[in-house]
Amino acid sequence: MTRKPQMCLEIEPDLVAAATGDAEPGAARRVEHHIDACGACRREFHRYREIEGVVGALRRVPAAAGEALAREGLESRLADLRSRLVSYRVFPSPLGHILIARSEHGVSLVEYLHGRADLRASRLSRVAGVELQEDGAEIETLYRELLEYLRGDRTRLEWPIDLRLARSDFHRAVLRATAAIPYGAVTSYAGIAVEIGRPAATRAVAQALRWNPLPIVVPCHRIIGTSGALTGYSGDRVGLKQQLLAVEGIRAIGPRSDSRVARNTLYHYDRNDQREYCLPTCGDIARRPIGPVTLLASRELAGSLGLVPCTSCRPDLHPLAA
Amino acid sequence: MMGEQPFETIVGAHHAEIYRYLRRVTARPAEAEDLSQETFLRAYRAYRTLGPDANVRAWLFTIATNLSRNHFRSEKRRRVAHQAVSVERREADPEGPEDEARFGEARARLEATVRALPLKQRLAFVMRKIHDLDYEAIGRSLDCSAESARAHVFQALRKIRLSLNGHELPAGGGAATSPLGMERPR
Repeated sequence: MTRKPQMCLEIEPDLVAAATGDAEPGAARRVEHHIDACGACRREFHRYREIEGVVGALRRVPAAAGEALAREGLESRLADLRSRLVSYRVFPSPLGHILIARSEHGVSLVEYLHGRADLRASRLSRVAGVELQEDGAEIETLYRELLEYLRGDRTRLEWPIDLRLARSDFHRAVLRATAAIPYGAVTSYAGIAVEIGRPAATRAVAQALRWNPLPIVVPCHRIIGTSGALTGYSGDRVGLKQQLLAVEGIRAIGPRSDSRVARNTLYHYDRNDQREYCLPTCGDIARRPIGPVTLLASRELAGSLGLVPCTSCRPDLHPLAA
Repeated sequence: MMGEQPFETIVGAHHAEIYRYLRRVTARPAEAEDLSQETFLRAYRAYRTLGPDANVRAWLFTIATNLSRNHFRSEKRRRVAHQAVSVERREADPEGPEDEARFGEARARLEATVRALPLKQRLAFVMRKIHDLDYEAIGRSLDCSAESARAHVFQALRKIRLSLNGHELPAGGGAATSPLGMERPR
């Protein structure tokens, strides 16, 4: 077999490209000149043309069998992934590092990491059956809203929430009732127990809130003891509870081990047919248990809840100092 | 933002093509099925991060290509794939009138040759010649330059040319005989 001339070897890639419709115009022109003069390359060129014809037939082969089946399998695997996929991020905040996680249904976890700033500190790392993914943009938006909230520039976090990480239906009922307590209002564990129709379940309510997967969003910091004691928060971090309440205009007093809301700085509402709210100095209202009595940070809040000033203590005429 | 587009739309628009691509580069339908599903599951995990101008199709090809390369990285699998190819070659004998048979035979031989190509050449060839991706996109999929991608396709065509040596082929695609007349419309 004779060796191909150097020129033919050099032009081969362009020749193949030109014959198979894949050459730049300049290369195609060079090939055209070359095969005008070189019979062997002209034959090669035509051979590749024939091959391109067969490749073209390959391109036109109808949709592969099995595609529908593969698609069907994909749909079911996608549905499974969607239900398991949880994206999360850890952020710094005035309350320490916070992890925010969301599923396709909504925000599923807000968690104080207490100093540690990685996933291993999170209960998320111990939840079975979820696929975790560190995620950016979507959670970033939630984070920004949370910061606004913590600065007092926002009073609502209107996030879709996913309560699947709650431990039971009872817990979910407690969390839903807690989510209904408005910004700037405070009630008690006993109050929530009555609200969900389980008046004897005060301790169980406290336990459910201890496992609240969505602190701040489901405002368990607005739930305190009937006496006004802040009791617990996120383990023994009553200080965080105090901070969150302070943002909403609810002050706590006393040492950390026994801090309680300052009832004399808050309006009181004891359920009544006239829907009247009172000053803390109205009769013995400030000594009645929280739960039946709801504490309110402002007259505006009372108004927004459809309450009217008490006609005997007249909070409208004698507003509390802000 | 890309993430606003429902993922179903992406599946609807591209699944069939990605499956066909994987069917061409793998030996068995079950592999193509699994890899195509895996491609879209990966895409689902990441599609919210795509920029507004992202070329979703090329991106999916890149995912599918990476998965194929990982899949074939194991020598053992490659051997199994080759065995499957030789079985398929025997099954692919066409029937029918002589011309059609000749064409069918050429196609079957071509398909068998493609499946026996080294992986990068095979992937580049199928992406370029069957799915018409540009060399930039193919290069990105294969972690190489557009020029290397072009070289892979060239090598693939040379091998195909050799494997079809001595086989009569139907006359190639129409009357054009000049290289300048043969640029495929884009």
